[in-house]
Amino acid sequence: MGELLIELENVGVAFSAQRRVGSGRFWALEDVSLRLNHGERLGVIGRNGAGKSTLLRVLAGILKPDRGHMRRGVVSCQLLSLALGFTPYLSGRDNAILSGLMIGLRQRDIVARLPAIKEFSELGDFFEQPIASYSSGMVMRLGFSVAMQAEPDVLLIDEVLAVGDAEFQEKSGQALRERMRQGHTVVLVSHDETQVAALCDRLLWVEHGRSVLEGNRDEVFAAYHQGLDLATDPK
Amino acid sequence: MPQHLIELIRFSTYAELRAERSRSYLGLIWWVAEPAMMMAAFWLVFDVILKTGGPEYLPFLLVGLTIWQWMKSCITHGGYAIWTNLGLIRQVRLPVLVFPFVQMLADTIKFFYIFALLLAILWLMGYPPGIQYLALPVVFAITLLFSAGVGFMVAAVVPLIPDLRFVIEQILTVVMFLSGVVFALDAVPSPLREIIALNPVATLLDAARGILMHGLWPDWLALGKVAVISTATCLAGMAIVLRLAPRYPKLAV
Repeated sequence: MGELLIELENVGVAFSAQRRVGSGRFWALEDVSLRLNHGERLGVIGRNGAGKSTLLRVLAGILKPDRGHMRRGVVSCQLLSLALGFTPYLSGRDNAILSGLMIGLRQRDIVARLPAIKEFSELGDFFEQPIASYSSGMVMRLGFSVAMQAEPDVLLIDEVLAVGDAEFQEKSGQALRERMRQGHTVVLVSHDETQVAALCDRLLWVEHGRSVLEGNRDEVFAAYHQGLDLATDPK
Repeated sequence: MPQHLIELIRFSTYAELRAERSRSYLGLIWWVAEPAMMMAAFWLVFDVILKTGGPEYLPFLLVGLTIWQWMKSCITHGGYAIWTNLGLIRQVRLPVLVFPFVQMLADTIKFFYIFALLLAILWLMGYPPGIQYLALPVVFAITLLFSAGVGFMVAAVVPLIPDLRFVIEQILTVVMFLSGVVFALDAVPSPLREIIALNPVATLLDAARGILMHGLWPDWLALGKVAVISTATCLAGMAIVLRLAPRYPKLAV
């Protein structure tokens, strides 16, 4: 495995429970440790509300840990977000540029990729129309096409593996899997176990904001299923 | 500042102005029509009905409201920018100062269009340009610095306490009346007048009116004091935003 890119050590993140005076805090992440090496494809599994998405936002540098340590080299981490910063009254073209700038691309790079984005999103002449006139599927297609242009050192994916109608789902899923196979460092959060099994070589199991087990895929899956059976099947 | 951020600010500002244009039927016409309607309302009340306007009331009002509207837009639009972009801030790592900055830049560009029109009107009314116009960029720079400073402070706290928005609108209305935007402060009785004159907005408006209407150079000493206050406000505002920045991604949209 490659060099160590990010290391979390007993990281916790607290949120205010409500926007009220004197409301308490709750810890969305209690105690998570993980190591991410270059070229690794790490899957994060765990039940709803286990803190998986919060963990991704910590890795993306959006949230700062309230306790514990995070060490990261000089690496860019980007959460794959669809339709980031989209504005209804702007054309597909302008939105693509705006969104591209927000995910850290230079303007000339996005402009150079506009034909590819237009092509991939299958928008045709609608590309020049305000996206307020798009169907939600069209917005998603454009959003995905732009998001795929991001080139971070570490790509963080939260459940968005395929969007749009059946045909575009196939195509977008294909494109994303392609990206992941090209040796990028990826952290993937998904409920779809077959997807995680197919795409990741290492897994991190998170439960109630704590990292339970980190290791190779089969080992963690085995323990995870055993844990689920114990939890759902009181004998 | 990294090149990439400059590009983001530039394109976002363009996007903001462009979106605003296409949001309404008349588009750009509202940039001028909206302040014009407001001026007409004040003129009707203070000059026609109450007859408290005095001579030269119309140009006095035009200059005052044009500049005040610019300041107010920077404070409110810039001030609400972080709050309205919380959804974005939760998803992507960007310096949060970008959001108020883009709004203030867009409002400043709008102001320059409206100001060009104001100049044309003033010339037609018989207030020709003079050498004192050279001082305008200084007055504008300080005005922007002051508005941006207040805007950053508002921007810092509104995401944490959105309820403040209701208070801020009212405070700004009071400040407008206390700054000699719609009526001259000469009409205010003595001890109160001196207190109000300490208000930086009043000093800035005085300077602008002097240049545009009476061909007078600004009171540099007073302007200098406002410049110091404005710089301090601006730095303090940015510092508060940066200080609170880690909390914004955790806030509910």
